[in-house]
Amino acid sequence: MDISAILAKSRYDRIKDIVDQTVTSDKGAVKTYTEMLDRAFLHRYLGIPIFLTFLWVMFQFAFTVSEPFAVMIEEAFSLLGGVAEQRISQPHLASFIAQGVFGGLGAVLVFIPPIFGLFLALSILEDSGYLARAAFLMDRLMSRLGLCGHSFIPMMIGFGCNVPAIMATRSMNDERDRMITILVSPFISCSARLPVYVLIAGAVFGPAYAGTAVFSVYAIGIALAILSALAFRKTLFRGETSPFLLELPEYAMPNARSALLHMWARGRAFLHRAGTLIFGTTVIVWFLSVNPWEATGGGQLVAESYLAQLGHAMQPLVSPLGWDWMTAVALLFGLLAKEVVVGTYGVLLGTGEATLGESLVSLGIFTPLSGFAFMCFVLIYVPCAATLGAISRETNSIRWPAFVLVFQTALAFAVSGLVVGAGRLLGFA
Amino acid sequence: MIRAALIGNPNVGKTEIFNRLTGLSQRVGNFPGVTVEKKAGRFYHRGEVVEVVDLPGIYSLTCNARDELVARQYLVEERPQVVVDVVDGTSLERNLYLTSLLQEMEANLVLAVNRWDMVKARNMHIDLEGLSELMGCPAVFTVATTGYGLQTLKEAIIQAAKKRDRKPIMPTYADREEGLIKELEGIISQDRSLPKRYPKRWLAIMLIEKDRLVWELVAGSLSSDQVSRIEEVILR
Repeated sequence: MDISAILAKSRYDRIKDIVDQTVTSDKGAVKTYTEMLDRAFLHRYLGIPIFLTFLWVMFQFAFTVSEPFAVMIEEAFSLLGGVAEQRISQPHLASFIAQGVFGGLGAVLVFIPPIFGLFLALSILEDSGYLARAAFLMDRLMSRLGLCGHSFIPMMIGFGCNVPAIMATRSMNDERDRMITILVSPFISCSARLPVYVLIAGAVFGPAYAGTAVFSVYAIGIALAILSALAFRKTLFRGETSPFLLELPEYAMPNARSALLHMWARGRAFLHRAGTLIFGTTVIVWFLSVNPWEATGGGQLVAESYLAQLGHAMQPLVSPLGWDWMTAVALLFGLLAKEVVVGTYGVLLGTGEATLGESLVSLGIFTPLSGFAFMCFVLIYVPCAATLGAISRETNSIRWPAFVLVFQTALAFAVSGLVVGAGRLLGFA
Repeated sequence: MIRAALIGNPNVGKTEIFNRLTGLSQRVGNFPGVTVEKKAGRFYHRGEVVEVVDLPGIYSLTCNARDELVARQYLVEERPQVVVDVVDGTSLERNLYLTSLLQEMEANLVLAVNRWDMVKARNMHIDLEGLSELMGCPAVFTVATTGYGLQTLKEAIIQAAKKRDRKPIMPTYADREEGLIKELEGIISQDRSLPKRYPKRWLAIMLIEKDRLVWELVAGSLSSDQVSRIEEVILR
């Protein structure tokens, strides 16, 4: 035995001796709730299935509760867009307000209810003390694979946004563990990707299965994070992991006030982005979609726009996966902020009678198979510009963000290709 | 003025105790050179002024983690007159590990056994006097959430600061390890400055545990001949 371990053991032996002499507890006393719950939730084999079930329930809850509100917002924006188109006489301004603001930004804002719903569910899980157990379970799984369980804490922050997740790796002691965590963090689905999943899943799978589809994309993300961490550990960063100490708090009844406060603290960032980055990028998309103004007939013929030219140039890259030019430009602008993928469809398909999701299906843009492949692609491909910036700052290099960019894009094509290929083999269109 | 530091494991109610003790007099700054927040405040009790620094919540005192290092540097370099170790009464076995390390640093300890309400709720009984005797330092029951025991704690801090004939108790090890410690202490004693600035026994134990910073510290002060003798002792 290592001499430090011998010293530590004698310290513990002495403490045990002192505690035995001074502390008496009622033997056979009632077990606390915490002990009883942990017996189930931290069970060797049932723990992980229970965790996954909680995640699934969380998504179902978030979407079911938020659905009516999302519909209300969507109808309000479509109404406002129609009014703007008719009442504003200046054609450029009318197009900007109707398509750019209400169509594009509106398409993103529709997702305020599910995002806040998900954050509320996360806050409740956190306040109840369960999230710490999830970290414990993941640590057990990951340390068996030779990975550091500490990574899971920053990753859980990543469900909100990857940037603070990458910054949170500063608390990790081991430099190699920290690098691995930074490199795999973008696989954790942030709230920016959620609107894309909800839109596509709702459109191609219908409300009954949308929650399950979105849940499976999150699960794929977690699995990819673990698998890539394993690959990096075996190749780029060989060596032992450092042990990880985690304290499990007592379970507590979550209270409404603090759950709502936590939800607001997380959700505020989304509102802020919607007002700045997402709005700005959507305006660029709108501008490219209505110009040249004469050729597009004032934004009526999108097929003649600069945006369509750009999309057609890029289409060969994505057509093997069953996607058209609109999807190509949506992915391109999604590099700045992934919500803009939704905003781009909003601008292009406008605020007509049908909802955005209905249009995506009726115009043949997505089938269930190509839609699911697209969800996987959005999960994996290039992390957004802010995340690349955070990776650059935290690793103090431009080589690592460049590596992440190439690695993830290649992986996105590979996984989506696999989904499409396997799906076609099984007879899906 | 009495200088005191507050230390303990994470999530034991240390910060609540700090808030109860210092109230509105808190100032927030940084520990020198690192971005770890340093909170300080003061309280007045029986005509004495006590300056309290809140150290990060930690489990041990290695030099690998930033929080642990900050706390350790503060304790060995600033030498606060009293160190209040806040422990969770419901899990003494885990919490007292940090206490043992503090004893090795020869800190003038006061033990705040917090969450006493939870201890009672679980039908546990803690022999406070026995604990105090075995640990060689005063011990007080507190309930940070209600403020119970805070006056007694203030009193204990002042008494501890004034006490002249302290008889600190610290962990002892098996004969083989104690032999190593004695030998290393002997070599360290030959130095002019080290024994004055740091507890010899603590330096010896840290050398055995191959603590990077203590190695640098000792190697920087001793002659190369003495350093190679230390290496010889440890490799044995």
